Amino acid sequence: MSATTMRAPLIEDVVKPGETVSSMTEQVCAVALGERNYLWWWIALVPSAALLGLMVVSVLWLFYQGIQVWGNDWPNVWGFPIICYVWWIGIASGGTFISAFFFLTRAEWRTSINRTAETMTLFTAVCAGIYPILHLGRPWFFYWLFPYPNTMTLWPNFKSPLMWDFIAIFAYIISSVIFWYIGLLPDLAALRDRARSRYAQIAYGIAALGFRGSGTQWRHFRGIYGVMAGIMAPMVCSVHSVVGLDFAGGQMPGWHATDYPPFFVFGAVFSGFATVLLLIIPIRHFWGLRAYITQRHIDVLCRLTLTASCCVAYAYLMEVFSVYYGQDPAELRMFHARVFGFDASVYWATIVLNCLIPQLYWFRTIRRNIPLVVLISVGVVAGMWLERYGIVIQVPHRPHLPSAWGYYHPTFWDWSLFAGTCGLFLTGFLLTIRFVPALSMFEMREVLTGRNPSS
Amino acid sequence: MILGSFASEKELMRAVDALRSKELGPVETYTPSPPEGEHFILKLVMLIAGLLGTAAGFGMQAYATGISYPIDIGGRPNVFWPAYIPFAVETGFLAAMLAGFIGFLIVNCLPTLYDPIDESDSFRRASLDAWLLAVRTGDPDRAQRVMDILRRLEPVRLEELAS
Repeated sequence: MSATTMRAPLIEDVVKPGETVSSMTEQVCAVALGERNYLWWWIALVPSAALLGLMVVSVLWLFYQGIQVWGNDWPNVWGFPIICYVWWIGIASGGTFISAFFFLTRAEWRTSINRTAETMTLFTAVCAGIYPILHLGRPWFFYWLFPYPNTMTLWPNFKSPLMWDFIAIFAYIISSVIFWYIGLLPDLAALRDRARSRYAQIAYGIAALGFRGSGTQWRHFRGIYGVMAGIMAPMVCSVHSVVGLDFAGGQMPGWHATDYPPFFVFGAVFSGFATVLLLIIPIRHFWGLRAYITQRHIDVLCRLTLTASCCVAYAYLMEVFSVYYGQDPAELRMFHARVFGFDASVYWATIVLNCLIPQLYWFRTIRRNIPLVVLISVGVVAGMWLERYGIVIQVPHRPHLPSAWGYYHPTFWDWSLFAGTCGLFLTGFLLTIRFVPALSMFEMREVLTGRNPSS
Repeated sequence: MILGSFASEKELMRAVDALRSKELGPVETYTPSPPEGEHFILKLVMLIAGLLGTAAGFGMQAYATGISYPIDIGGRPNVFWPAYIPFAVETGFLAAMLAGFIGFLIVNCLPTLYDPIDESDSFRRASLDAWLLAVRTGDPDRAQRVMDILRRLEPVRLEELAS
């Protein structure tokens, strides 16, 4: 064996050599057209659907009993729903960031993972979107948040970050669906043309809306796709910044900080990168896409996770700095309770999982070790949940007035709804990657024929 | 309708040039990957829609808090423009995205679930590895001339379909 094959090249290919347009299309279409073994897919889908069932039960029980089934009470009126809301929307942001931002930077590795990232965004954004509505207490009045002409002649409060958040999430979910669907049209058309059963032809034919790859369609497609990516990239930053403003707009010591919007964006893309890693690793294995989602993609995502980890670590450091530099007694009290209090383990677990362990990604051997990458990514996703626990739960324990101090205990229904939204995400994601191509075929065609799709 | 199928983009472009130079009517290509160039019009539509969406979002907030329902909260001004920016930006983004999507459907007359070209078997490969061109004409004389030109360029397949 020669020296070159003993050691892997420093920059791996984004596609395994020898793959052609036909082999790629056949392999990717085979999944959607029911020509593969779906055993693992069923093994994943059944428990996910069971969790989705748990969500339905939790929501119905919530509607029947009201918010009292949760642990929400003063001083923790936000509780689990807002932890999970911020966590889910953060993961969603990471997906859009990969798909839109790296389209604009012409990153050649983006092409085979953008579909997975966008699909992830879609369903995590849905999970995020339902939480604030359920948290309203009277969810059937959620439309009161829209500025619509009403008999009460009232308007929503446009000076409140919570109102901005509503419109930001609303616009973000619709835009994510549009961005995902527009990018999917050529692939749905390809599936329509490959499908053998009449039902599949009709279903994909309707879904493709009559996209036929004509010169006019393609030229308009190219025209808008770049602009849409250019909108989605700043939009994702604005959405999570507004989530940060929900907190920064409050007077609570520990929330009232100008660094919250960028701090939240860092955390969002951090958890998003880790989740994309957790999704593409099984997909490339089970759908047989190792030739297109290569070690290179995993390596790049690990590096991005590392970069985001450093940004998050910087934000944590600045949080410490501003507390001690400001010397505000309420801030100090709150911070000491978080760092040395009886549940200080949450804070320290956040630091270890989000800042320390991802530093292992500096080493190439770690980035190439798939089981370790999975473990570290699970740690990041859990660590980011704990970070939001610290922000949403621990910070309000110590408001300015000692008379308002208190504690929070989640109930079974808090946990069951959280598990249920995980089921909603997994079920939606699994169904989507079963019926639509798990990677963007028309963009892969350009990679395989040596044309950069984004240029 | 005359439908010619070619094995590569280069051969297709040669055929398109040959037909265009003879001025035999509009030629449409059907290709697995986007051809060179892009149309500008929808970008402009998205820009205008984005700006209008932003202006509308901003204007609605100014109207709501300044004219329709002014309310004194701690002596703050009724028209407090910095607070309107996040909302206005998001409505602008949303308007641009919707305009791009709806505009894409309108300019391409989508959804069009049936097209005579669907009758051809070679069209099914246009989303894989075949590079097609179609000339839609009801004039048999012109159709014959198109056929003659294309035949000389050695297409993989040449068909005449009812259009």
